[in-house]
Amino acid sequence: MSVLATPRRDERAGKAPGPRRRRSWRVGHHDTMWAALFLLPAIVAIVMLRVLPALGAVRDSLYRGFPGGLRPERFTGLDNYTNLFADPGFRATLVRTIVFNAIINPLQIVLALLLAVLLTQTLHLRGVWRTLIFIPCTIPIVGSSIAWGAALRPDGPVNALLAAVGLSPQPFLTSPNQALACIILIASWIGIGYWMLFLIAGLQAVPHELYEAARLDRAGPIRTFLSVTLPMLRRPLLFVLVADTVANFVLFVPVQLLTNGGPESSTTILMFDAYRTTFGFSSRNLGAAEVVVLSVVMLVIVAVQFRLLRDEGGDS
Amino acid sequence: MSAATVPAGLRARRRVRTSNRPRALTLVAAVVALAFIAPAVWILVGSFRPGNEIFESLSPLSWHVLFPNSVTLDNYTGLFGNGFGGALLNSVIVCGASVIGGLAMSALAAYPLAVLRFPGRSLIFAVIVVSFLVPFEAIAIPLSQLFSDWHLTDTYIGLILPGLGNGLAIFNLRQAFRGIPSSLREAAVIDGASEWRILTRIYLPLSGSALINCSLLIFLGQWTAYLWPLLVTSRSDMQVAPIALAKTFSEHSFDFGQNFAGAVLLSVVPAALIFLLQRFFTRSIANTGVK
Repeated sequence: MSVLATPRRDERAGKAPGPRRRRSWRVGHHDTMWAALFLLPAIVAIVMLRVLPALGAVRDSLYRGFPGGLRPERFTGLDNYTNLFADPGFRATLVRTIVFNAIINPLQIVLALLLAVLLTQTLHLRGVWRTLIFIPCTIPIVGSSIAWGAALRPDGPVNALLAAVGLSPQPFLTSPNQALACIILIASWIGIGYWMLFLIAGLQAVPHELYEAARLDRAGPIRTFLSVTLPMLRRPLLFVLVADTVANFVLFVPVQLLTNGGPESSTTILMFDAYRTTFGFSSRNLGAAEVVVLSVVMLVIVAVQFRLLRDEGGDS
Repeated sequence: MSAATVPAGLRARRRVRTSNRPRALTLVAAVVALAFIAPAVWILVGSFRPGNEIFESLSPLSWHVLFPNSVTLDNYTGLFGNGFGGALLNSVIVCGASVIGGLAMSALAAYPLAVLRFPGRSLIFAVIVVSFLVPFEAIAIPLSQLFSDWHLTDTYIGLILPGLGNGLAIFNLRQAFRGIPSSLREAAVIDGASEWRILTRIYLPLSGSALINCSLLIFLGQWTAYLWPLLVTSRSDMQVAPIALAKTFSEHSFDFGQNFAGAVLLSVVPAALIFLLQRFFTRSIANTGVK
């Protein structure tokens, strides 16, 4: 049996002539068989839970069904998409989703980075402050949405606070001008502490000698941050940027629970719209088209982010 | 105060300056941290005070906002009277089964990807990780329609299945398996052990902390899930805790005491787990972010 262990090296070395090749084929065969067996559940899960619904959404988006299902659905090509994009409401939703993401992602990442830098300095009780800022992300999002829904009520504590410092009360979630900003506030209260942890881990991995060298070169704190810290943080920053964008593109709970897309559609972002089209308006095919649009937009933006940060890496 | 402890002389002034900086930064950190924690404290306190007092305590604003006049458990007993206990039990069942099933599936997948040699290994690894990392919410709507065709609506299986696959869990387990010296496996192979035996007798026992980390990831994913249970359950006896809480919120929106109590109950479990298993949690963050 010991032959099983050795020929792996031959396999890597490339063309082994004659009997050796046969042996390595047998090893490969043995490994492949076990690999297939072990990977089977995961592959079945991917096909069932990811591939089939994705294909199903694409397929449904190309058909038109009829309520009640008495008449068979009909292939209509890209009609659903042309209908969607002809609808000014949907176009506004698409723009709103992109603007929402263009604001919330940089905002969360910059604040998370500032906090990460602050909480890696020499501080008293550093661990306590880190824990307190992280606690909001341990609260399930349903709980935090309810908390903020109560806090932002016209008679809630946020307005009480505003009144205490002499400001006039605000309508918050009930105003079409403020509701989306409130959703951003809620999502950031949850998200910032979480992304901060990744950036703290990244900051702690920066070799201390680099800071020593910067100090010897008499670099100030800002120069040190820009020339040492930021370049060394590229990997965690890329991860946080992509993961945060993906999470915010499918943000759903606070919208569904607190505003239901309103007031005046001001918080209708794509994920919620797809849900409402599918279940609220029982339009399975249009909803599927929205899911496809959402996925495509999200993937394009993530691909662009990869490109940007990777190209910068190529320069240095 | 610290000036007194610093010896006099030329260097003293410099030391005073450097010891003041952490103090100023600490003050900033404390203010930010208190701003983050204040809403959570308000919820916690509110869950123990009579429902009407939550908003009445706000005007005029005083320290009573965070310190109740009277403490009561009425909110919690009322919540359980509304069937929240059953929903919590459902959540526990779904999370427990998902952790067991998800661990089995992840370990089985991570083992060949870490130690076996077979054609297309890196491709399969990439496909598995990417497909589980694409946000589940994006395909939740079409998947729920498939599940309804498959008669999985309002079943535990329907709630559990999507929680099994976690790209991060497979990724972390594979990293852990790769850290185990291959000489152990080679020795076992010489002794005639099957791959199944090697996995269960050598790799799993040596990967305790990675397994705990994966369990935590799978558990948290399921415990906080909202969209999927919303799509795949309609019967009230199949509700999980977040759905039940959202229902109390929209039906009894004036009884904030109960809502707050539900939010506290829902948060206590993940918060306790994260702080108990902090070491394993931050490990996964260090793995992904920096690697």
